[in-house]
Amino acid sequence: MSDSGRTSETILRVEDLVVKFGLRGQVLTALRGVSLDLREGESLAIVGESGAGKSVFTKCFLGMLDANGWVDSGSIMFEGQDLAKFTTEKEWLRIRGKKIAMVFQDPMTSLNPLRTVGSQISEVLGLHEGLRGDDAKSRTYEILDQVGINDPEMRYRQYPHEFSGGMRQRVVIAIAVACNPKILICDEPTTALDVTIQAQILDLVKRLQEQLGLTIIYITHDLGVVANVADTVAVMYAGDVVEYGSAEEVFYDPRHPYTWALLSSLPQLGIKGQPLYSIRGTPPSLFADIKGDAFAPRNPNALAIDLMERPPYYKVTPTHYARTWLLDPRATPIEPPEAIKAMRAKYKRDAQ
Amino acid sequence: MARYVVGRLGRALITMFIVLSIVFMLMRLLPVETYYGARSDTMSDAVKEQILRNLGLLDPMPKQLARFWSETLRGNLGRSIVLRVGQENTSIIGPKAVYSFRFGIASLAISLIIGLSMGVLMAANKGKYIDRLGNTYILLINALPAAVYYLFIQLYITQLFKIPMLYDARNPVTWILPTVSMSLGGIASNSMWMRRYMVDQLNQDYIRLAMAKGMSSRQVAFRHILRNAFIPMSQSLPTSLLFTISGSLYIESLYSIPGMGGLLITAIQRQDNTLVQAMVLLYSALSVTGMLLGDLLMMVVDPRIKLVKEGGVR
Amino acid sequence: MGSSRQDKFQQLSDGFLALSEEEAERVSSYSDELFRPAEFDTEAAEKAGYSNYSYWGSTLRLFLSNKVSVFLLVFLAALLVFTFVQPYLPNQLHPNTIYQDPETGIHYRNVKPNAKFWFGTNNIGQDLWSRIWSGTRTSLFIGLCVALVTNVVGITLGSIWGYARKWDKLFTEIYNLFDNIPYTVLRMLITFIMRPSLFTMIFVMCLTGWIRMAKYIRNQILIYRDREYNLASRCLGTPALRIVVKNIMPQLVSVIMLQTALCIPDAIGSEVFLTYIGLGLPVSIPSLGNLINEGRLVMLVPAQRYQLFFPVIVVSIITVSFYALGNAFADASDPRNHRR
Repeated sequence: MSDSGRTSETILRVEDLVVKFGLRGQVLTALRGVSLDLREGESLAIVGESGAGKSVFTKCFLGMLDANGWVDSGSIMFEGQDLAKFTTEKEWLRIRGKKIAMVFQDPMTSLNPLRTVGSQISEVLGLHEGLRGDDAKSRTYEILDQVGINDPEMRYRQYPHEFSGGMRQRVVIAIAVACNPKILICDEPTTALDVTIQAQILDLVKRLQEQLGLTIIYITHDLGVVANVADTVAVMYAGDVVEYGSAEEVFYDPRHPYTWALLSSLPQLGIKGQPLYSIRGTPPSLFADIKGDAFAPRNPNALAIDLMERPPYYKVTPTHYARTWLLDPRATPIEPPEAIKAMRAKYKRDAQ
Repeated sequence: MARYVVGRLGRALITMFIVLSIVFMLMRLLPVETYYGARSDTMSDAVKEQILRNLGLLDPMPKQLARFWSETLRGNLGRSIVLRVGQENTSIIGPKAVYSFRFGIASLAISLIIGLSMGVLMAANKGKYIDRLGNTYILLINALPAAVYYLFIQLYITQLFKIPMLYDARNPVTWILPTVSMSLGGIASNSMWMRRYMVDQLNQDYIRLAMAKGMSSRQVAFRHILRNAFIPMSQSLPTSLLFTISGSLYIESLYSIPGMGGLLITAIQRQDNTLVQAMVLLYSALSVTGMLLGDLLMMVVDPRIKLVKEGGVR
Repeated sequence: MGSSRQDKFQQLSDGFLALSEEEAERVSSYSDELFRPAEFDTEAAEKAGYSNYSYWGSTLRLFLSNKVSVFLLVFLAALLVFTFVQPYLPNQLHPNTIYQDPETGIHYRNVKPNAKFWFGTNNIGQDLWSRIWSGTRTSLFIGLCVALVTNVVGITLGSIWGYARKWDKLFTEIYNLFDNIPYTVLRMLITFIMRPSLFTMIFVMCLTGWIRMAKYIRNQILIYRDREYNLASRCLGTPALRIVVKNIMPQLVSVIMLQTALCIPDAIGSEVFLTYIGLGLPVSIPSLGNLINEGRLVMLVPAQRYQLFFPVIVVSIITVSFYALGNAFADASDPRNHRR
């Protein structure tokens, strides 16, 4: 995608990434040629259904694909190196926790239940910054403070089961940012938490981003979270990024039929007295080769060519792209659903 | 926490009471003829009856139970009626237990050290040659009746190295084979357990996080998985320890080691009922105690079981 | 014409991003027809789903892919058939008959394996070959009986234990009680009390065996019972028995088969052990335990060592094969292995 319209540096560039898995003797293509640019300091949200490939995508940045998966082709350029070409654990050890860190979904099971919380944070300091003993301890107290945990001295000595879910997630975040990584990946960081705690955690991450200059990737299927935190949004479907743009552009001016469907199914957009919208059909099987646009079979407004050839990215604005033939000038104009039109109208009004 | 301990202790005592009483009552099912000893055909009926009366066997069951408990709690486990007629069972069992204990401890140590190391090695090299070798070993030991491989070891190794077949207190060389044989089963189960545990843990979430931190697989294995593995292992440790006293029935018999196991076998074969009863009671008591200690040890070692601490959960 | 086409191309290529010039040219040459709406096939929308997973299919596939297991299965099946068919084959001798030279009347004692006595004879003149197969039949019989009873009793009681909440506590206490008595000692004790016999042996093994099966079944049921699909069934009023039989049982079949396969080596092992102590079967019933014991008595004489050898080899082959087969099946039926 073109660089124009951006101000900061690209720190991660993914090109045509193809990832496959061997499953019960067959090959499943989880990522079908994904390309993405990540700008320094931005918050990118990757949204999509379960199975769209969001987690697989980010696991590639840490080399943590399951044992039966592999990168088939494509590149992931980071700090002058191609992460997709890494083969040994040693190469990854220089990246994990140090340059790129990850916060996992379920705080209840992410921590080692038989070791103190403090020791698990200090461990990371020892690995990458060589801090031991009291040095590590005092730095850990600082970090615990930074993530909003009171009384760090006492908390250091406690075990995970003595913390609530929200606090455990803070600890996991603490571990992730302890060594000031460049990129922080949050895989559904609030899905397993209460609604009230969700907001706190998101605030914490935003605050840390400002303090430490982090670039953040959020993986989520919760559009509410996206609206809250994201600068840019990438919409994934069936192993491909189908739409990409700033949060405002994607929310208020979506162009891909899948994005329309996704946004339409938000309960908040439902009209009282009418049935809630849901997308017909199911995502395609990734075992077979997919011909044309993956979403076409479920799209009542699909064009003939959608069923034949995969669309390239069309430019809506210098910062907004969508992979759909609808944007071709020759395409029959298709109207987005009512709800989307309403949102677009509202956006235009607000802009004036 | 104190409540848990007291509760557990109480349960153990009740279990002990029930188990031993059941064993006692089971023993009462033995045909009375067996109590007459070696010269039963020359005894008159009156003498036979007197013997039974002395042993309290003619009383109603509740009275027998009461007498049994009052004697046992005073340390009196009856007297032998065949092997060493008239001698107190406790004094017969005592010295034998020491022998069994020595061999037991040695083989326990070996099986722990080798078994756990093997398990770790196998898990670390999962699927490769050493793992397959280890698994084959475990398979053979588990499948073959112990009698078979003990026998073969005794037969062939002694011939190969020209060492005497039976145990001799004065010749340390004869101590090796029994100890090694006894530890074979323990090695198999320890390594199997350890390997399984380590492999299971590899799929846990917290291991994923540890790897995402930037720890190498080896560091993760040692600092997280291995340390965690010892917690459940420690639960079975006291039981294993206590059972070293009971001795291996086979080995002691094969190598003529004067231990508890051999004593039990002889007692059974010669039908010395009181001695058999005393020994079975002892084994059961050891078992109950072992489990109790195991639970208590777990409690000490596993931070999750420390219930109700001040400051607690927020 | 030329310039408007050029304009069109320019217009299109401004919109394209990830295409090279040739590709952009190719795409812009597509006819306008293709950009009309297509027929919407609702069927196709619903059809594009996953799932080709069949539990038994995967289990079978995994099992068959392991050549060793297939070999073992065939081998054991053949062995079993042979064991029971053996007496009816030609030239077979009788296990308990003491053979003697018709001319001299001397008993054929300790004869090494030859054309007449394929495994030789023991020290009173009985044919070892037939004795071994007779013993194998006995041991297998014991093993199968134990497996059958343990399974039936264990599954039934285990199911009740797991499914009916109010009985759980009672059963758990009973289990803990049993667990505390070392079962080797228990077996010895009961055999001692009931006097050794075929029935006693089977009884004793069943007594200590059912509990383990019951506990395992109970654990599995506890896991599956509260799975959401079962909760839904209960809400709909499905009787408990049906839920257990149709939803839960299939999950347990693999476990049951594993335990059955392991029962045989276990039974043989126990039988050998009890025989060794003197609580085994009477000598008139040949069993593998008896044979090993008899062989042990003469093992120090090299010429007669074959009397130990043959029973031991047969025992080893049977136990190891059953055990390996059981393990192979357990591995194949473990859903975690189905990913590959």
